Amino acid sequence: MNQITSFFPKEWRTLHFTLVVFFSVIFIINVTSINQFVGQSIVKSLYFPFFKLKSLMVEVGTSSTENDILREELVDSKMQISILEEAAKENERMRSILGFEPPAGYTLLPSKVVSVTYGGNRPVSIVINKGIRDTVAIDQAVINQQGLVGRIKEVMNDIAVVQLLTDPSNRVAARISETREMGIVRYKSGVGLVLDNFPIQGSIHEGDVIVSSGLGGVYVAGLMIGTVGKINRPQDEAFCEVELRSAASFSSVEEVFVIRSVHE
Amino acid sequence: MRLIPCFLYLLIIAMHEVIWRDFAGLYFVALNLPAMIVVSVAIYKSETAALWFGFLAGLVMAASQPDKMGLHALFLAILGVAVFHVREKLNLESVYSKLLLIVGAVLVHNIATTIINGTDRFFYLLWSYCLPGAAYTTILAWIFFLFKERKITFQKLKSVF
Repeated sequence: MNQITSFFPKEWRTLHFTLVVFFSVIFIINVTSINQFVGQSIVKSLYFPFFKLKSLMVEVGTSSTENDILREELVDSKMQISILEEAAKENERMRSILGFEPPAGYTLLPSKVVSVTYGGNRPVSIVINKGIRDTVAIDQAVINQQGLVGRIKEVMNDIAVVQLLTDPSNRVAARISETREMGIVRYKSGVGLVLDNFPIQGSIHEGDVIVSSGLGGVYVAGLMIGTVGKINRPQDEAFCEVELRSAASFSSVEEVFVIRSVHE
Repeated sequence: MRLIPCFLYLLIIAMHEVIWRDFAGLYFVALNLPAMIVVSVAIYKSETAALWFGFLAGLVMAASQPDKMGLHALFLAILGVAVFHVREKLNLESVYSKLLLIVGAVLVHNIATTIINGTDRFFYLLWSYCLPGAAYTTILAWIFFLFKERKITFQKLKSVF
């Protein structure tokens, strides 16, 4: 501006005012072509870069919003897929359960596992969503489609605690399905399920099926416990050491059945 | 006043009109950057500079509405000269006196803009747009003056953190 004003001596102040007023009046009179020419020139030269910048900002903002929406949809889809996969697995389990029948004189009460308690590296008890209101009572046997799971240890109005076979204090009177020879199944730490009190002269082979004997009154007779694994016959001992492969997978129990007598 | 700073100020006004106006506005309250820059030029530069810069700032500010360019240009030119004369007659050493001048000038410009743009709700706009806009612009001007007069420097700010 100094360069502009330096063309005029200071006493030409009036000239500056006159010029400004003159130009202003021309613009105020609004001779369309002049106003539009000046307006367009300013817009093209001064405004235009900022128009470009603004449109770029809007574009980036829109892309960012779209990105957020897509990311949200992706998470949502992943969740949907996960839910569907779960449903498919549940469907598969339910199909296998459908053909499952209770022992004679008993009914099955289906229930879901709501919580699992661990003892060391294995589950020792589970909580199911059925209780006194569903006529669940202490010492009722609990099974799943694979075999015996445990027994009801505590019962409340809407839930019950199931003591699993993996709890060392839980013992089951059992027998070999083929030979009908008996023993006691319990959990031995570091080994797994074992068949105790089985005489060394007894007839037992790897792969024999072990079922509950019904003695003791807690477990119904004939419930699948597992199969015979490793057999040790130590000399000078009265009983064999028999390791079992449990039928039920305790770490993946989701649905179970409480066995109730039809009279309960 | 040199040409390059003058051009840069005009560029800032153009940027304000295109981009900042939308972002810097708070509800009805809009920042009146063109008036603030014209007043600042009038405070620090000569009468002729204030006159011509006000005129050009008015043209740039109203470039998108060519029918009103003349009025805006004339009014900002008059505002620049008026502020220059007030500055000459008053002692504007203190930041607060400059701010007082800015709040008055921006308020007058806001009122003039409202009248130029034509409205049938003048008093409503006076309370909801002109006065808060003048206050908002003055707050920004205050920060600008604090930096310009080195009462706040980046080193001081750095030392706080």
